[in-house]
Amino acid sequence: MARTRLTQNQRKGRMGILFLAPWLIGFILLFALPIGESLRYSLSQLEMTTEGMSMNFIGFDNFQAAFTQHPSYNRVLTEAVIDMVVNVPLIIFFSLFSATLLNQKFRGRGLARAIFFLPVILASGALLGVEGGDILQNVMQSANSQQGDSMSLLKSFELERMLIESGANESIVSYLTDAVNRIYEIISRSGVQILIFLAGLQSISPSLYEAAKIEGATGYEAFWKITFPMISPLILTNVIYTVIDAFSSSQMTVLIQDTAFRTFQFGLSSAMSWIYFLCISIILFIMYSLISRKVFYYD
Amino acid sequence: MKILSSLRGKTKVNRSVWGNVLLFLFLGVFGCYMALPLVYSINNAFKPLDELFLFPPRFFVRNPTMSNFSDLFHLLSNTWVPFLRYAFNTVFITMAGTIGHVLLASAAAYPLAKHKFRGTKILFSVIVLALMFSPHVTAIPNYMVIGKLGWIDTYWAIIIPAFAFPLGLYLMKQFMEQIPDALLEAAKIDGANEYRIFWTIVMPLVKPAWLTLTILLFQLLWGTDGGTMIYSENLKTLNYALGQIVAGGIARAGAGAAVALLLMSVPILLFIFTQSKIIQTMATSGMKE
Repeated sequence: MARTRLTQNQRKGRMGILFLAPWLIGFILLFALPIGESLRYSLSQLEMTTEGMSMNFIGFDNFQAAFTQHPSYNRVLTEAVIDMVVNVPLIIFFSLFSATLLNQKFRGRGLARAIFFLPVILASGALLGVEGGDILQNVMQSANSQQGDSMSLLKSFELERMLIESGANESIVSYLTDAVNRIYEIISRSGVQILIFLAGLQSISPSLYEAAKIEGATGYEAFWKITFPMISPLILTNVIYTVIDAFSSSQMTVLIQDTAFRTFQFGLSSAMSWIYFLCISIILFIMYSLISRKVFYYD
Repeated sequence: MKILSSLRGKTKVNRSVWGNVLLFLFLGVFGCYMALPLVYSINNAFKPLDELFLFPPRFFVRNPTMSNFSDLFHLLSNTWVPFLRYAFNTVFITMAGTIGHVLLASAAAYPLAKHKFRGTKILFSVIVLALMFSPHVTAIPNYMVIGKLGWIDTYWAIIIPAFAFPLGLYLMKQFMEQIPDALLEAAKIDGANEYRIFWTIVMPLVKPAWLTLTILLFQLLWGTDGGTMIYSENLKTLNYALGQIVAGGIARAGAGAAVALLLMSVPILLFIFTQSKIIQTMATSGMKE
C-alpha cells in the first residue's frame, strides 16, 4: 500500500514538472537570468568601452552612493513607499466595491465594465506616445506621475489655498486635498483589479446565494457571508498585484531608468532598484502574512 | 439559468430602493468621469484642424469631418512599407503572444495549484518576486540573452518573453486554487487522466480567469512598439508606424487624433467581446456533500 502510494506521488511530481516545464524554461532564460545579472551589475562598476562593457567588482559602493550621494534618491524612495501604503487599501476597497456593482445584472453592463477598464487601455503608454501634446495626454500624465502639474485639470490648488486662508489646520487641509487629488489616480489604477474581482465574482456558484436566500439572508448578509469569504483569495491576489503595479509605475522607476539610460550609471541604477525591490518585498511580506491568515478556501 | 437570475434579481428587492439608487448614482458619476477621455478623443478624431487648435479647447466637435481619416489613409498609402504589413506584424505578435502565454501559464499553474510536489512553494515565491522586478532593470541583460539566442530583429524577441511573463501564471494559480479538490478527485475516479482533467474540468471552470488574462496580455502586446528588439522597418508594429505619422508635428495633428482613436478602439472592442463571453461558471455547484 505504502509503495504504490509513493510511486503515485512520484508520478504526480513528474507530471507536474511536465506541465510546468515550458513555462519554467522561458522563465529561467528570460527573467531569472536577467535578474541575476542585474544583481551582478549592482555590485560592480560598468563602463562602456570600444570592446563592449567592462565590469569591475566594487562591492557595495553603488548601494552607498544611492543613499549618500544621489541628490534625490532618498526622497523619491520614501515618497514612493508612502504612496503605495496609502493607495493600496483605497484601490482594493474601490475596486471590490465597483466590481460588486458591475456584477449586478443591468442594461449596458458590458459598456459600463468597458468604461471602468478604459484607464488601463488609455494609460498603457503606447497611446500617450501617439497622442501628441494635447489635454488628454496632460491629464493622463499628471495622473500617472502624481506631480502637481499646472496643466492638470483635476487638482485642488484653489481648494487648498482657500481652506488655508480661511484658517483651517494646515495638516488636515493637506491630507484632505491629497485624498481628493488621489481620486483620479485610484480610479485609473483600479481597472485590472476590478477585472480580477469580476472574474472571481463570476466563479462563485449562484447556488450558494440561492441557499442563503431560502434561509432568509438579506443582500447585505449575503455579501459578507458569501461574497466576501469566497472572494478573499482574490483580495490577496489583488493586493499583491496592486503593490506590483504601483511598483512599476512610480516615480522611482523613472529615476532608475534615467540613471541607467540618461546618465549611463548602470551599476548605480541596478543598486537603486535592488534597494527599492527589498523595500517592496518587506511591505509585501507583511501584507501577505496579515491577509493570508484571513483567506478562506472552499474545500 | 433564468430562474437563477430572477432569484438574484429578488435579492436586490430586499435592499432599500434608495440604497440602490445611490449605488448606481455613484457608479454613474465615476463611470462618466472615466469615460471623459474616450469621449474627448472620439470628438477629437472628427474635429477639423481649426477646431483642434482652438483655445480654450472645445470638448465637443462643432463641424464633424472625416478629413482626418482620409488624411490618415492618404499618408498610409504612401508609406515605404505597406500599411498592411505593419498591421500584420502587430496582429501576429499580439495573437501569438497572447495565446501562447495563456496556454503556457495555465498549464504551469495547474500543478502549482492542485498537485503540490516538493519545491512548489519555493517556485511560487520566486514567481512573486519576479513579478516585482522593474522591467527597466533587466532591460540590458534581457537584450543580451535574446541576442545570444539569435532572436534580435525577429518577432520572437517580443513573443517569447511574453510567454514567460509571470503575471499570468500568478493569476491562473490563484484562480485554480479555488477549484474544489473533490471535483478533480471525482474525475480521476471516473478514469480521466491529467490532460483530460486539465482540458475538460479545470480550464472551463477558470474561464473567467483566462479570458481576463487574454484581455490583459492583448492590451499589453497591442501597445508594443518593438522597442529595442526590432530594427527592420518591415517588422515594425502598427503602433510604431502610427507614432511616426504623429511625429510629423502640427500638420499631422488631425491624422494623429484619428490614429489615437483607431489604436484604442481595438482593445476596447475586444474587451467588450470577451466580457460578454464570460458567464457564471459553477466551480462549486457540482458538489453534494
